[in-house]
Amino acid sequence: MHHQFRSPDGPIEVTVARQGESWYLGSLEATPMSDGRLRILNDDGTVMFAHLVKVGDVWWVHVQGHTFKLERVEPGASDTDDGGGLTAPMPGKVLQVLVDVGQSVSAGTTLMVLEAMKMEHRIVAANDGTVTAVHFGAGDQVEQGVALLALEES
Amino acid sequence: MVSKVLVANRGEIACRILRACNEAGLSSVAIYAANDATSMFLELADQAVLLEGETIGETYLDQQQILAIAKATGADAIHPGFGFLSERADFARAVGEAGLQWVGPSPEAIEQMGDKMTARITMRAAGVPVIPGEEIEQEEESEALAAIESASHRVGYPLLLKASSGGGGKGMRAVHSPEDLIESAKGARREAIAAFGDGRVYIERLLTGSKHVEIQVLADRHGRTVHLGERECSVQRRHQKVFEEAPCATMTAELREAMGQAAVAAAEAVSYEGAGTVEFLLAPTGEFFFLEMNTRIQVEHPVTELVTGVDLVREQLRIAAGEPMSCGPLMIRGHAIEVRLYAEDAENNFLPAIGPLAVFRPPEGPGVRLDTGVREGDSVTPNYDPMLAKLIVWAPSRTEALQRMRRALDEFVVLGTTTNIRFLRELCDEPEVVTGHTDTTTIDRLWPDGWSPSVPRSIEDAALMSAAVGESAGLHRTRSAVTGTSSGPVSPFATLHRRFP
Repeated sequence: MHHQFRSPDGPIEVTVARQGESWYLGSLEATPMSDGRLRILNDDGTVMFAHLVKVGDVWWVHVQGHTFKLERVEPGASDTDDGGGLTAPMPGKVLQVLVDVGQSVSAGTTLMVLEAMKMEHRIVAANDGTVTAVHFGAGDQVEQGVALLALEES
Repeated sequence: MVSKVLVANRGEIACRILRACNEAGLSSVAIYAANDATSMFLELADQAVLLEGETIGETYLDQQQILAIAKATGADAIHPGFGFLSERADFARAVGEAGLQWVGPSPEAIEQMGDKMTARITMRAAGVPVIPGEEIEQEEESEALAAIESASHRVGYPLLLKASSGGGGKGMRAVHSPEDLIESAKGARREAIAAFGDGRVYIERLLTGSKHVEIQVLADRHGRTVHLGERECSVQRRHQKVFEEAPCATMTAELREAMGQAAVAAAEAVSYEGAGTVEFLLAPTGEFFFLEMNTRIQVEHPVTELVTGVDLVREQLRIAAGEPMSCGPLMIRGHAIEVRLYAEDAENNFLPAIGPLAVFRPPEGPGVRLDTGVREGDSVTPNYDPMLAKLIVWAPSRTEALQRMRRALDEFVVLGTTTNIRFLRELCDEPEVVTGHTDTTTIDRLWPDGWSPSVPRSIEDAALMSAAVGESAGLHRTRSAVTGTSSGPVSPFATLHRRFP
């Protein structure tokens, strides 16, 4: 089966094939275990165990001391939509929303102020444009990576 | 007499203290804010009482409310843990005036050590070496700036300006040349006034390349004040300790004895009672200087417990009850290392992270201790400190302790919330850490432009495969074994492609 994931290095497409209880990718053979883990056999006979859990669209995977966050991209979804970079850099609280939908802003304008762990973070317009959406209001809690506003470049 | 202890804290340290109460046969009371209603520490107490209020100030810092709960529940002692009210002399005094036993030193000792200038003067008088520098008593700005300017010539550069009421790096400025002095002094005073309502600063020479070495002390009401050897906590990020060990890799028996005696003198100078820590800077020359005394149990106390065999929290409870401490002559055996697991994104400038602890599976096996206040299924919220757990290992030697820590960190699985586990794991491989030649600038020097993990390609492929199999087999829906329905030849097209935009 074919899947696409978003990783820090860009999109990655993975195709795994199934035979019986096991799945194959290149020289790796993975077998689901009764506790939800995967037993992964290398062709040299060594074995690894992967813990995995899906939270929202993200697969969290732990293999041999390394932890990965792999966001699954739904088939057909655009992978360029990152909200124009106007995403929460960290989890926190919206302190102030400084713009309204429809407002024209110039590059460098502060659009929103977030607070997390006693630090303030300003969300700033990277380009001139028009605000097309404001997803949160003052006092809202936001998770890391969520789109806060949308800006259409002019 | 102490029979029922109210623990005025939360999370990991509340769990540590409540377990000690259980072991000592003492009744216990936990207090909690509404957003802690399902936290683990409540389950370790005989009873738990909700604090009214929303903010930390209205809950864990509300002295009157906590005293009222102590009275209502019949508690006869209050253990403050660390942070929150633990170093508040006014609270220690109010606890005593309410007829309750404070598990800690007297309010006078807290005050004398809490004001850093007073502490320096007290320590000098007791013959404890302090960092060369001068106290600036002037409070009015222009007078203070003139005094700082004049003192700077005697102290020399580089120098450090520190707030007398300071802590946690607030009101602190390093000054490398005279041109920057006045601006830095103004900034330090401004920050100190904002944070502590007290703009007094003092000057110290900046000792670069030094180790942070601290001595654990215990003092009881029967005339005994002892030290329990040192902990080294040089590996810090922005004054936040990350990796702590006992003993210090470069310690000698003579230096330990000299520092231990200085720490005992420091404690005796303020008639100290209970557990405390005297922090020193240890210069490359072997000279050591008093930094400050923490008048409470410390986060990193487990490493001392593992190498000395002393249960520090049990001793605190024993001493508070008026009994003599139970520990005999100091014996240091083997090596212990603690690392602090934080919910933070080490790859992204260590920004705090939140999320569910969808999987939380700590390591097990010989020599591994975990002090935590969370378990699988909990959520990490932005409400409190992002420390999830302290992982502590003991082994016969430092080399084996590092090997054990690497093994334990590799076994530690946390999914659903970003943590610094991998950062800690790679820290254990750094040559400075391996040889023990760390100092307080180690992290900044090793990763001046931020940290990112080195991931072997084969492991990354296994992770991608896992996610793809998880998605294909619907493991997120079942979390149990898939039943085979179809089978056939293995596809020759089972592949992996990367696109880099």
